Amino acid sequence: MKLEVKNLTVKYKNKTAVKGVSFGAASKEIIGLIGADGAGKSSLLHAIAGVLKFEGEILFDRYRYTSPKEAEPIKADLALMPQGLGLVLYDDLSVKEHLQFFRRIRNIPEDPEYEERLLKMAGLYRFQNRLAKNLSGGMKQKLSLICTLLHRPKLLILDEPTTGVDPLSRRELWEILEETRKSRNIIILYSTAYMQEAKKMDKILLFDSGEIIASGKENELLQLAKPYTYQQTECEECFCFDGRCYSIKPLDAARTEPSLEALFFINALKKGEREKPINIIPKQNEMPKIIVKSVGLTKRFGDFVADDHIDLELKRGEILGLLGANGAGKTTFIKMLLGLYPIDEGELWLLGKRIKSYQDRIELKNRIGYMSQNFALYKDMTVKENMEYFANLHSLSKKDATRKIEELSNGLGFREYLDSFPQSLPMGINQRFSLATAILHEPAVLFLDEPTSGVDTVARAGFWKLLHNLKKRWNISILITTHYMSEAEYCDRVVVLKEGKKIVDETPERLHQKFPGLDFEEIFINFYRSENASGSN
Amino acid sequence: MKAFLTIVLKEIRLFLRSTGLVAAVLFFFLVDVYIVGNDIEIEPKNVKIGYVDYSDSPLANRILSKLHEPEFKPPIMFKSQKELTRAIYEKKIVAGIIFEADFERRYTRGLNTKIDLLLDSTAATQSLLTLNYLQKIILSLSERTPPVELKIHKLFNQNADTKKFMPLAELLSILTLFGVILSASVFVKEKEQGTWDIMLLTPVDSKVIIFAKTSSQVIILFLLTMISTGIDLFGIFDLPLNGSFLAYMGLTILFLYSIAGIGLFVAAVSNTIMEVAQWSVFLMMPIIFLSGAWTPIYSMNEYLQYLSYLSPLRYYIEGVESVLFRGTATADLWLYFAGMGAIGAILFGIGYKKIGRLF
Repeated sequence: MKLEVKNLTVKYKNKTAVKGVSFGAASKEIIGLIGADGAGKSSLLHAIAGVLKFEGEILFDRYRYTSPKEAEPIKADLALMPQGLGLVLYDDLSVKEHLQFFRRIRNIPEDPEYEERLLKMAGLYRFQNRLAKNLSGGMKQKLSLICTLLHRPKLLILDEPTTGVDPLSRRELWEILEETRKSRNIIILYSTAYMQEAKKMDKILLFDSGEIIASGKENELLQLAKPYTYQQTECEECFCFDGRCYSIKPLDAARTEPSLEALFFINALKKGEREKPINIIPKQNEMPKIIVKSVGLTKRFGDFVADDHIDLELKRGEILGLLGANGAGKTTFIKMLLGLYPIDEGELWLLGKRIKSYQDRIELKNRIGYMSQNFALYKDMTVKENMEYFANLHSLSKKDATRKIEELSNGLGFREYLDSFPQSLPMGINQRFSLATAILHEPAVLFLDEPTSGVDTVARAGFWKLLHNLKKRWNISILITTHYMSEAEYCDRVVVLKEGKKIVDETPERLHQKFPGLDFEEIFINFYRSENASGSN
Repeated sequence: MKAFLTIVLKEIRLFLRSTGLVAAVLFFFLVDVYIVGNDIEIEPKNVKIGYVDYSDSPLANRILSKLHEPEFKPPIMFKSQKELTRAIYEKKIVAGIIFEADFERRYTRGLNTKIDLLLDSTAATQSLLTLNYLQKIILSLSERTPPVELKIHKLFNQNADTKKFMPLAELLSILTLFGVILSASVFVKEKEQGTWDIMLLTPVDSKVIIFAKTSSQVIILFLLTMISTGIDLFGIFDLPLNGSFLAYMGLTILFLYSIAGIGLFVAAVSNTIMEVAQWSVFLMMPIIFLSGAWTPIYSMNEYLQYLSYLSPLRYYIEGVESVLFRGTATADLWLYFAGMGAIGAILFGIGYKKIGRLF
């Protein structure tokens, strides 16, 4: 059994999402697609699944198809799990009813033994009567996965099944996949935004702007990157991040071991992209030592406890990473700090002031900056108009506003985009412009809700550098949420939330000391495990 | 004040940039008002009738010849009562007239004469019209003058022209619908885009934000009403202006703020534009039906007549009619201003409280 994709192209009205991609896969292989949002992974997977029009041809198990219509006969052997937590599930059906439903809709005979095995594999055997809406994000994804496995597909297509899922559930999901391919003839296509998952894949396809920029096993890919990877040094026409520099021209520095990210930097260099210089003018700000202090902060939605007695401190000039899976309570926590949700229990101090009512917040509003998920700004106004609008609302004078917009658009490198509309911008530029809007009024503290989610490697690296630069020049404090565990590395301190509870509050250095040689993914799995163990007692 | 202006100008700019919305709004305020005013007729036209004439008499022909255009299509002849009945069942005609064989003979001899009339009562107006005409025709046959004569004086709308009232009622109904939708979506759009949270975190008082956003839509709707009034009502349909135009503008602004209050309520309970549309249609129906725009209030059930005091549209319509047709002096309009002011304050208060809770 083989899958062969030849010269596949997917075009939308005004965009080519996949540009002539070819690759092959053999039985029992897991093929990984790694890349940012908008790189073309989903389009490619949907085309192979026969639900999206495409050009080119696909051969599966000696059957050839060039359109969704021709793919119809093989759909019985095919399974697609689309992106999004629990998207294929029905909130008000129980776990058991889901299996029943998918069995009937697929018209397959009942096989209690197989269903039991799947349930046990997914760790859902005990929760068969639980409604889908009451499952955690990780459990939802495991249930979605076993529902797609029910008809024993030969080609399993999983579109970002683990994005936003906690590391422990992610590991369990992988175990299900390993089991499945051991026992059966199956080809698995798997897309992800997490580089760490590359280790488990038989072949990796790295995606950027609709093209495969490199493919192979993990160590083969690392070999490709090796000649271009140097230790941290001063250089031009290069990208430097996280203690490494990448350059096509030879550098006068020692080489070092690359990571998979290196290939994205090298690809960007080959395309002629350069690091956008950051130039932030220093500011002196009077600030208390403790910027945010929460004691026992709690938020409930009905019976559901979104945040359970969270204690947290954000100190002056600190970047605090708030990590956790989707649904762990990160956004709810930030919204409580900001006053977008009322606080159900606990005490909160902002910039040295005890917050008891809405009135307490009003005078602090000019000292707080906030960037919401998906960089939300007005899409029918240009970058400049957006910035002017918020400058006005923060009662900056016209002269000050013009000066600040000039300064920040230059400093953060999006000057040439001032008259464009936000949706036409590359994601990295959009991210910088949103940040600039959030800091127009020179706040003392900045709250960032998932600013790096789905953003490509190069832009993400640039963004983290920008935050550190900002912290250094303005002595600003930053609270940032992310579901990328690896980003703990770039924070001064990390707090991990799991189902509304705080399970880690530590500096990255201390964590590395405690767990030498492990990456953050593995470190946090330890905490998740011990939390589970103590939770069941 | 600066924040207020900034928000108002931004909302108007965003409105002008959404070309689809501008086109839709212009269509409704200009074209739709024109179409409804021009083409929808309360008076029936082209009513289809049929007849069976067993008498084959000149008298029957005389009666039939009086049922003519534009009210009636030329009557269709049927051979038997059975065929006539079937034609009514199949909705080919709405009324059927049967002349018995001895019809003319009995009439000329002064005996008790009858004409059988079959009516499709599902088409109530048309069949009543037929009945009405037949009665008049028969009355005229007798060539006797009625003992009492009616002398009719038409006030306010001398030609008894529905074309003057229909476009006004349509404009006010459209204003109600768009009033709710626009003033709600200006908030819900921000919820959808995720900019709402950012708005809430700016150091601008929530009252200012709410009032500015609402006012921006009131301004847009007010201008649209003025354009439609100028082009459609005064220009095309030649409505009279017997009272003060300032009073008309004042009533319009008061009405728009009352409707915006309903919009605020809708915005508070909706998270998507889709929900706004559903809520608006749901709330708009009773407001329009209870206003007297399409059915006179005095012919409603008594309970509904009381309920109609709650519809801001009722005060608006009666007030505007008074200004345009009756030429009521502005000082005498205080009842409408007071009624709408009270309802408006209540609606706006409820809406403000509901959406203000999100701050």
